[in-house]
Amino acid sequence: MTKAAALLLAGGLALTACASDEEPAADGGDTGGGAAADAPKIGLAFDTGGEGDRSFNDSAVAGVEAAIEANGGTVAKLSPNDDGSNRADLLTQLADQGYDPIIAVGFAYSDVIGDIAEQYPDVTFAQVDGAVEDAGSPENLTGLLFAEEEGSFLAGVAAATKTEADHVGFVGGVETPLIQKFQAGFEAGVEAVNPDIQVDSQYISPAGDFSGFNDPARGKIVAQGMYDAGADIVYHAAGGSGIGVFQAAAESGGRAIGVDSDQYQTVDDPALQAVIMTSMLKRVDNAVEQFIGNYVEGDVAGGENQRFDLESEGVGLSTSGGFIDDIQDDLDTYREQIISGDIEVPTTP
Amino acid sequence: MAATGAPGATAPGAGAGPGDAPYAVELRGITKRFPGVVANKDIELRVRRGEVHAIVGENGAGKSTLMKTLYGMHRPDEGQILLGGREVRFRSPADAIEAGIGMVHQHFMLADNFTVLENIVLGSEPTKAGRLDRAEARRRIREISSRYALNLEPDVLVEALGVGDRQRVEIAKVLYRGATTLILDEPTAVLVPQEVDELFGNLAELTREGLTVIFISHKLDEVRKVADAITVIRRGTTVGEADPKTTTSHQLAELMVGSELPSPETRASTVRERPVLQVRDLTVASSAGRPVVDGVTLTVREGEVVGIAGVEGNGQAELVDAIMGLRSPAGGTLLLGDDDVTGWTTRARREAGIGFIPEDRHRQGMLLDATLWENRILGHQTRPPAVKGPFIDRRGARTDTARIMREYDVRAPGPDTLAVALSGGNQQKLIVGREMSAAPRLLVAAHPTRGVDVGAQAVIWELLKDARAEGMGILLISADLDELIGLSDTLQVMLRGRLVATLDPSDVTPEALGGHMTGARAGGAA
Amino acid sequence: MSALRRLGPTVGVPVFAVLVAVVISGLVMAALQVNPFEVFRVMFDLGDTPSQQMTAVVVVLNRAVPLFLAGLAVAIAFRMGLFNIGVEGQYRLATIVAAAVGAAVALPGPLHVLLIMAVAVVVGAFWAGIVAVLKVTRGVSEVISSIMLNFIALGIASFLLTGPFRGSEPGASIISTADIPESGWMPSLNGIFGALGLADPPRQLYGFLLVAVVVGVALAVLLNRTRFGYDLRASGLSPSAASASGVNARAMVLKTMLLSGAVAGLIGLPDLLGDTRSYTTDFTAGLGFLGIAVALLGRNNPLGIAFAALLFSFLDRALVPLQIEGLPASVITIIQGTIVLAVVIANEVARRIARRSAERGGAAADAAAPGDGSTSTGQSAGDVGGPGGTDVQGTGAGVSRTAGAGQADDTRGAGA
Repeated sequence: MTKAAALLLAGGLALTACASDEEPAADGGDTGGGAAADAPKIGLAFDTGGEGDRSFNDSAVAGVEAAIEANGGTVAKLSPNDDGSNRADLLTQLADQGYDPIIAVGFAYSDVIGDIAEQYPDVTFAQVDGAVEDAGSPENLTGLLFAEEEGSFLAGVAAATKTEADHVGFVGGVETPLIQKFQAGFEAGVEAVNPDIQVDSQYISPAGDFSGFNDPARGKIVAQGMYDAGADIVYHAAGGSGIGVFQAAAESGGRAIGVDSDQYQTVDDPALQAVIMTSMLKRVDNAVEQFIGNYVEGDVAGGENQRFDLESEGVGLSTSGGFIDDIQDDLDTYREQIISGDIEVPTTP
Repeated sequence: MAATGAPGATAPGAGAGPGDAPYAVELRGITKRFPGVVANKDIELRVRRGEVHAIVGENGAGKSTLMKTLYGMHRPDEGQILLGGREVRFRSPADAIEAGIGMVHQHFMLADNFTVLENIVLGSEPTKAGRLDRAEARRRIREISSRYALNLEPDVLVEALGVGDRQRVEIAKVLYRGATTLILDEPTAVLVPQEVDELFGNLAELTREGLTVIFISHKLDEVRKVADAITVIRRGTTVGEADPKTTTSHQLAELMVGSELPSPETRASTVRERPVLQVRDLTVASSAGRPVVDGVTLTVREGEVVGIAGVEGNGQAELVDAIMGLRSPAGGTLLLGDDDVTGWTTRARREAGIGFIPEDRHRQGMLLDATLWENRILGHQTRPPAVKGPFIDRRGARTDTARIMREYDVRAPGPDTLAVALSGGNQQKLIVGREMSAAPRLLVAAHPTRGVDVGAQAVIWELLKDARAEGMGILLISADLDELIGLSDTLQVMLRGRLVATLDPSDVTPEALGGHMTGARAGGAA
Repeated sequence: MSALRRLGPTVGVPVFAVLVAVVISGLVMAALQVNPFEVFRVMFDLGDTPSQQMTAVVVVLNRAVPLFLAGLAVAIAFRMGLFNIGVEGQYRLATIVAAAVGAAVALPGPLHVLLIMAVAVVVGAFWAGIVAVLKVTRGVSEVISSIMLNFIALGIASFLLTGPFRGSEPGASIISTADIPESGWMPSLNGIFGALGLADPPRQLYGFLLVAVVVGVALAVLLNRTRFGYDLRASGLSPSAASASGVNARAMVLKTMLLSGAVAGLIGLPDLLGDTRSYTTDFTAGLGFLGIAVALLGRNNPLGIAFAALLFSFLDRALVPLQIEGLPASVITIIQGTIVLAVVIANEVARRIARRSAERGGAAADAAAPGDGSTSTGQSAGDVGGPGGTDVQGTGAGVSRTAGAGQADDTRGAGA
């Protein structure tokens, strides 16, 4: 009976619409008063994907945990709903429950964090990947920014040095300004080594459609196209879709460069491990840990951005697997030049 | 009347027929209840080996329930089933098939993109080393086909076959599984007359080979033609057995409905001069481009009933659709009164005074899942009393529905009842009442008493006669020859899309009319 | 009494389904070693201070407004048997165009808002109209075409946002259209908290709530009380009967989809006019699909949809406090999913029960007129000249009866 079928289909769609993979915030910490008077009650609001993404959000968790180890304290971890419409509620609730400092992970909080920070002037806020200017520069907000283009530049250098086909690729998740920084740095790095190397750059989804960060199937298709066209190394900045890029590399006999965390360590599959030449590390953990440390010391100025770059080891390349050990000298040379300002890395492609 | 002794042997027999051979199928005192209703009660059925035994009854009389019991689809609450004199109990159709009973369903269950062979063996494939043994299957199908003159080609795709061929595939499928008793559920409903004749030929072959056929139908003439014995079911129970050789259709019909049939007759002419509907050279093309209504010209005057006689499928339905604006004609004009309505929408035509009693009330006449008052509005969405401007007048609709229920004897709890709850006769009376209430100039009545009980039939006939007397023009399409002859002032015979004869109903017999309908007689004999 | 009986399934079925869903998800939680009573306690705990409680109310209402509109948009099409999955694309496209137009003009307050709403309605209707045109001219299933048009709408929205409608600084982390000037903002309704003597929460209650109520009431009247609504429902119940009654099926498909799309166009406006003031890469997505669930739960009835939207947003609000309490937020997803399934099943079961009991009730009322079978004598004309053609005899001959005494004897022949 077709009507019943249609209803079931509708039900299914609705379920998909409400389904989410949020992990429970298991160790949600202490809800009432703080455990110790001085220890911070840290509020952590995730980007979509939540805890357990083996990337961005987990990196922030690692930073918080390291900070708690050093300074004591508790943490409450909140994930937004699927369409991200309750981001403001996450922050409001954390503030209402007395959490301080509150760290928002992801640029998507830029829309809401400014208002909330003004609403709770006594609470210290930080936003990973968000510039305070985008939020109206409230005094109690710190932006934790990364020089993704610098790390990506080194990834480009590694790819250009290692390529045998003189043809490499870049897969971006969603065409946002943030991911464009990765692309710009990567392309510049390749060009610095050898301007004749061809770089294919492509995005999985356009701006406004965030599915590109979480669609391994399409990630695989895009990367497969690059390998088929002759590229032998592909760098991805596509979040959860990156696994598809690794799969395409494994099936095509090519190699790939991971992003954010040391993906050689986080993928379970040895076949995929073998293709991950290196990963462009974005040390969200370092940034978060450092920020909490400053907060405990009373050193947070607020109203400004903290930038984590090559110099402060906020970004860099991983060496797990030993695939780039032989070119470490070249990489160091470029690193020094960037730190000293001899090379200026663009932020837009 | 006295149930006098008759050739049909009704004595509560032991499990043996006259010739002492056990009955192929015997049902004794079968009763089947469903929550709240008794679908079958004290069913007695005796089928001899090698005969075509027809089971006739009105829709809803309990034929299907009975056959499902016999086919193992559910178990009876009381009574016994005997096959060849031995009592059997079926837990599922698989048991029935095992015992040699096969069912040919009214709606075919064939996979279009499979060959005849594949369809026949589906579910009981002969295998050789785990693979389908096509050679063996082909051999057996050929054997069945030639033995019973089924004329099947095993390797033709079913989608290439006509309806008659498909039915023979279904029969072959049952025979392939070793059935010795075949149940055919309304097998002629989907066939054209020639195919019906072929089917009857096949049935003769089957019984000649010793197989038994149980034939379910409500088409009495066919039943009388093909059956060796007839059992009549009424209101869930068997009311008698009849000998087809000595019983008329009329007598059978009375057995089925259990009372005297009403007469549709009407005599005094009320025909006036003014035409309400003039159809000129109307042609309607099928989707394949073939004319299904071919140059039809007719006139309906005030107070006149024009009857269209014809074997179904000769263009009557398309003619009705064209008049109602549901199908655009390929050519010709329609005049309603003085207006050329050829290009008008259905709604405009209805507003201009055409009432419509559709052939299939469930498809075109009612919203089954809606209430009676909502059904009162259907087709009259732009007119009072149910509508005020752009708004629905719920109170007006309810009140007027109550009036219709009173005046037209629609038996239902109230205007808020769902239409689906009504019997066919009451649904039809509601439709007739609704259409009459708008006082149309022209009423297009397609099979107005089809599928309704005798009481409702009489009421509807009276209503049509009254409306005619008040000057309404009526275009009556029917397959009931008595109804046509009795009600019509003029009879037109439709054959292959054309009007082939104009007859005077006062001096035509059903036989003569039938001759015109099949094309055996030609010309306007009236 | 009849009104009560008619309301029964409309109210009873969803309530029953929700209760069943709550029980089932409670069992699931227990199986997952989560205390369901703790979960329900947290869900109903709106906060400690009046301000917090009112904030929670505002959060629920603000979320319910777009869900309500999305449910309405889906329900309009559902009523006539059309499955508009394209609500998602319709509102996304409508919202970005409305945001861009709203930012590009400066008009006096109410006019500015009206213009933005008009643009959204027109764009939404236009996008849904494509589906309708494809269906009536080419017979393309609205399910297929509306899914496809969702993808196209998202692509166009992205193109517009990064291209012609881009209003944010290059390099800003979120791309957005230019902000709508203040004259185009929808004032908040926070005044009513003061008027009611309640705490005024810091969160703004969307002024669009009023628009949604008006739209809901208007649609309820349109669908239930007008000829148009009747034609729409008739077309959904039986397309063949509707066209025989004079409903132009094609025009009806077109009108219904246009109306559905027009309402869909409004879905993004509560957020746009009440909060974000611009369309961004991050604008709330997925409301069109949630609308399907809301419409199902509300049984395509505007009032029911309002309750369904409130229920969904109430559940959604609980996501945050649950996480703070260290309870898994995914229980909300389980509850929502179970409710949708329970409602679908309960609706179908209720429909069958209603129909069966109606049939039985009708049969009882109809005891005097048993059997609605065919009595046609002489069904087929093919028997002329056959064995029975001239066989006019007394009924008694050849007929024996095992039951049914008292039938009238009649000797009138078939062709008398």
